[in-house]
Amino acid sequence: MSMDSRAVVVGAGMAGLVSAIRLRQAGMDVTLVTQGIGGIQLGQGTIDVLGYVPERVLGQPLAAVTAYGNAHPHHPYAILSADDVRAGVEFLRALLPDTFVGDLERNYLLPTAIGALRPTALPQVTMAEGECTPGKQMVFVGLRQLKDFWPELVAGNVARTELPGGGRVSTRAAWLDLPARANEVDSTPLYYARAMDDPAYRKRFVDALRRVVEPGETVGLPGVLGLADRGAFADITAQLGQPVFEISTIPPSVPGMRLNDALTRLAKDARVKVVLGSQVLCANIDGGRIRSLTVGTTGRPTEYAGEHFVFAPGGFESGGIELDSYMKVSEPTLGLPLWVPEGDLVVADHNAAQPLFSVGVRFDHDMRVLDTAGDTVHENLHVAGGILAGASRWQEKSGDGIALASAVRAADAILESVQNLEGARNA
Amino acid sequence: MPEPLEYPKAMLTRATLDACIKCTICETACPVSAVTPLFPGPKFVGPQAERFRDGESVDHSLDYCSSCGACTLACPQGVQIAELNSQARAVMKEDNMPLRDKLIGQTVLMGKVMTPFAPIANAALGNKLVRTVVEKTVGVHRDAPMPTARLHTFQGWMKKHQPPASPRTRGPVVFFSGCAGGYFEVETSIKTVEVLEHLGYEVIAPKQGCCGLAQQSNGLFDEATKSVLKLCDQLRSGGKDLTIVSASGSCAGMLKHEAHEIMGVDEEKLHDVGTRMREISEFLLELHAAGDLPTDFVRNDITVPYHAPCQLKSQGMGMPAITVMELIPGVKVIESGRACCGIAGTYGLKKEKYDIAQAVGQPLFDMVKEKNEGIAVCDTETCRWQIEKGSGVKTVHPIWLVHKAYGLS
Repeated sequence: MSMDSRAVVVGAGMAGLVSAIRLRQAGMDVTLVTQGIGGIQLGQGTIDVLGYVPERVLGQPLAAVTAYGNAHPHHPYAILSADDVRAGVEFLRALLPDTFVGDLERNYLLPTAIGALRPTALPQVTMAEGECTPGKQMVFVGLRQLKDFWPELVAGNVARTELPGGGRVSTRAAWLDLPARANEVDSTPLYYARAMDDPAYRKRFVDALRRVVEPGETVGLPGVLGLADRGAFADITAQLGQPVFEISTIPPSVPGMRLNDALTRLAKDARVKVVLGSQVLCANIDGGRIRSLTVGTTGRPTEYAGEHFVFAPGGFESGGIELDSYMKVSEPTLGLPLWVPEGDLVVADHNAAQPLFSVGVRFDHDMRVLDTAGDTVHENLHVAGGILAGASRWQEKSGDGIALASAVRAADAILESVQNLEGARNA
Repeated sequence: MPEPLEYPKAMLTRATLDACIKCTICETACPVSAVTPLFPGPKFVGPQAERFRDGESVDHSLDYCSSCGACTLACPQGVQIAELNSQARAVMKEDNMPLRDKLIGQTVLMGKVMTPFAPIANAALGNKLVRTVVEKTVGVHRDAPMPTARLHTFQGWMKKHQPPASPRTRGPVVFFSGCAGGYFEVETSIKTVEVLEHLGYEVIAPKQGCCGLAQQSNGLFDEATKSVLKLCDQLRSGGKDLTIVSASGSCAGMLKHEAHEIMGVDEEKLHDVGTRMREISEFLLELHAAGDLPTDFVRNDITVPYHAPCQLKSQGMGMPAITVMELIPGVKVIESGRACCGIAGTYGLKKEKYDIAQAVGQPLFDMVKEKNEGIAVCDTETCRWQIEKGSGVKTVHPIWLVHKAYGLS
């Protein structure tokens, strides 16, 4: 790899961070530009590959990826294969060892903070004991000063849910009265997680927990079991002597923050040049190739030149795609052509799929953007993550699988093109 | 004549808060709410409380915002949370501005008074009794970091200084020292000029005052506006269209965007200076990207803990100092990963905020203590004083390493 190969990555979500790290690890000079912190910490902190098609996927999520892609020609999984998903997930797992459980052979079924059973391929180690099996005894424990987690709600909904193979979990709710900080009656999960980084606080927490937990119970807690101290969970489990798991709350999701912090740290330590807080304004194009991006830095705009670009700004929810009051959708940064499903983009039924979320860019297997005629838009522009057309990620629980598969594919397509070029030069 | 604070008062109703989707990312980035429940966090105080402000604030927790800007930087939706809060605070404090907050914004005055009596001033600032009296009367905490007065100012040095005899191959640049760089961190200013001259630039350093940042962060917008506009005239007197280089990370930010975004200063001369302003590492990295930076550096086998100041980060250009320092063979940089050192300009000097500022800085001090091999590195003056006091480790501007690597020291 010639060191003067420069890549510019846009976006700091799962797709942006992972593709930046992969390119950097291959020796490329990588700049990552992002308007703010990415969305990983707004999610559950699990790796969801495919959870609903729309029926719940329990076994073989990768087989489901292939089947779903075959049945839905506009879906990202019609282009990204099960092997791509596996490569993406394995790359992440190698970056973050000892973080996840799961083998992509099945989905875990874990309670959410409202007690629904949610399928995911790779939960964090801290969540694994939450798997619901018939006859399991669970106690969900809330904290009086944390309003984002109601153990009665979780326990009630889990108890009334019949498990896929039949049978139920027996549940109970309990409360602790333990402020995260003195004199604070209303804390977010984040303050609890920071408190749990302190071994002395953990001891007080476990002492309080012992008084409400009964023998034989698996203990379900809000997702607050340590932020910076990655040993917090193991310490709490060891002290209590009973199985414990955590459940991600509404944002800020501490398990998501842990992933975001770890990936951001990896990127920075590898010397991905992270430019935080500036928006990409436009691309400067010459002969079908992007030469540079103009970024709205303070004072005056700055040009970030490169040979390769990865565009991973996220979807509609991230501002990567905009909708105006005439229901016209656009990609505001580079003006890329969008694939828009036919019919109404927003439907009144809250339980139905909202077609708006499937708006995005079409792409080939090298993650190059395609226009409506199927032609490549810019030779050196690759896309990844939520900007891809055809998925309703929040509903399918497919967002992480798509992000990881596309990020690794985008990076590898760039690396392959450089190798081909170097090979041609040497020949 | 516009009514005082007309801009921030009007901005209160026109701000970017409608873009807020309540995602809480800013809450997770705030270094102040992380250490004290007295500040409920940027989302609560900013986009949420803003909806209840009708000319005045519904609560005064806003005063505990340090204006470090970590929230704005982190926001993926483009909400200018810190700017919103700075404006609301200026309006809130308008009728009851503490004398202390007026005094500590007078950074030039402090330098002018202290320089002729440097040993006496330094002794007085090191005297526990004097500092206790100052705390009781003025409200500046007795243990807060204070600059060390120098016997010579940067301008005094510059007048007597002879540039190298070699031809000035790269033309002129204007050097903006900032008031701390003019009176206290004189050595950093000198090293910056010497590096620029070594590269072949002719360095012009017109007589210059304060950018008004300390006044702005204390809500004294009228005074700060006067300061920044006067400075613009002074810097423009160095030459039309010349690049302006600064080694004061925070002050560069005041001219690039804060005076305009927070105080609404919209004069042509500010835009002119703001677009020409380059922080020194940013400037060197631009040269490097263009293939114009000589990298015949002397090897320096050292690992340095580095902290990018909040007001440097908020310029949205990443951390150019890391790349520049690591161009020197042997230099390995460990980035702090911390949002702010706690001092946030004058915030950490105030007696009621001193403990908070120390708590904000503590993880940084610990990291510096653990990782340093004799020095730590940081781009802004007050942050260096804070880190040095908190960690006991000598803390220098990145230009010190470049200066040494060019064999100039």
